[in-house]
Amino acid sequence: MILKKGRLKIQVHKNFRKFLVPEFLKKGQLKIQEMAFMLVAVFLFFILVGMFVLTLMYMNIHEDATRIAEERTLSSVTNLADSPEFSCVASKTNCVDGDKLISLVGRKSYENFWPFSSLKVITFRGFGKSENELVECNFANYPDCDLFIVYDKNVDNERAISSFIALCRKEYENGYTFDKCELAKLIGGTELKGVEG
Amino acid sequence: MKKKKAIAMSFNWIFAIITGVFILFLAIYGASKFIQTSEKTIYTETAASLISLFDPLETGLASGKAYEIGFKKQSKFYFTCDYLSNQPFGKQTIAFSEQTFGEEYGEKGGGVSIKNKYVFTNEIIEGKKLYVFTKPFFMPFKITDIVIVLPDSDTYCFYDSPEEIKENLEGLNLETIHFPNESERCEGINVCFDIGRECDIKVFEEEGYVQKQGTRVFYIGDLIYGAIFSSPDIYECNIKRIKNKFNELGKIYLDKIKIIERKECGAQLGPKLASVIGEIENSRDLIMLYEKIEDIDSINRRAKSGCSLY
Repeated sequence: MILKKGRLKIQVHKNFRKFLVPEFLKKGQLKIQEMAFMLVAVFLFFILVGMFVLTLMYMNIHEDATRIAEERTLSSVTNLADSPEFSCVASKTNCVDGDKLISLVGRKSYENFWPFSSLKVITFRGFGKSENELVECNFANYPDCDLFIVYDKNVDNERAISSFIALCRKEYENGYTFDKCELAKLIGGTELKGVEG
Repeated sequence: MKKKKAIAMSFNWIFAIITGVFILFLAIYGASKFIQTSEKTIYTETAASLISLFDPLETGLASGKAYEIGFKKQSKFYFTCDYLSNQPFGKQTIAFSEQTFGEEYGEKGGGVSIKNKYVFTNEIIEGKKLYVFTKPFFMPFKITDIVIVLPDSDTYCFYDSPEEIKENLEGLNLETIHFPNESERCEGINVCFDIGRECDIKVFEEEGYVQKQGTRVFYIGDLIYGAIFSSPDIYECNIKRIKNKFNELGKIYLDKIKIIERKECGAQLGPKLASVIGEIENSRDLIMLYEKIEDIDSINRRAKSGCSLY
């Protein structure tokens, strides 16, 4: 015990300026500390790499989702005029029946039917007018209006794809009922997900 | 001292081994999860892209369209149908997976919703090629295009089919549909129009139903193709979805009647049309409406020049 105390005293004295730690313990502790730091560093490195990869993947997923949504919008817009909700009497191709279109305005049930974030038709008289000048169509002012808003989900970021169509409606003149057609533009919007405005 | 050094060494080794194993385990687990997620993403993207390919098949003025879609590997497609969600139109989903190692399929991707299409097929189909064809469906105005999806792995043998159906299907040039003679041999799913034969699918034309997997599904017009080529569950679900679309279109046409009345076109079919708008329980209810629908069509055909509703 005396010997041990003496040795201890000497060691304590010897290591006084080095945090009062015995030499044999210091080496082991240092190794453990080194390894622990190394481990933490390795973990942090992997976590950072993982986060970087996930961010890249997440960005790609958003880009891919937007690309696919745009492809769907494009393929749908070009075929939409021939769908039963829009198509003209006597099945004229690429022709929208205005008398059916006015009934679709504000019909909430169709909001989740087509893959668009918004669906509008601008009549020929609305071409060249600014957005504020366009007169929205409803049962009361139809057909003296410029813009049919079938629906608009009011998303923050949207890219519009349009297609020219023939917009036809029934007219009555001199005792005859006939189809009157004019040029119009069908506009389908795609929501751009994860894209800053 | 020697003993202590030995202990220190072994501790280092144990420590290194444990942490090494832990890091390796984490790395392998992370990598496998990463691969799984990437695979699932690709499968989901493929399913989403597949839906875009259905759009050009909208018939418009055509009586039908068909094409084939090829895949690099043997693939599996999972279809579901739900008429209760996304009211009033319901929806279908499609999920995709393909063979990875050997004959094992990867975990299927996320289901992608199809809301504006009516896809008639089996719940799970498998193949390297898909044959897709569409037929317009009228009741009495056009309701939608019915989309039929067939894999190259299923061969259909049609026996004693009526000329109209034979011409329609042969015109689509589908490799998986055959019309064998009595002398020819055809191995696959047998579709019979002659009640005397033993077949997988029996078509009772006069009664207007198809018997398949022990179930009767009723049809009118070109829905016969849906009844033959799709599973009874998907067929019945899509029939309800189609009826709901008919209801919505009916409302649009009722509004149109009010508009064209302003232009000296007094359409007489309003009350008849209003009477057929409503829900149905199953495909049998749909054919019950057939007479009323015929009436609506005849009224529309009799409308004065320039005043027909559809």
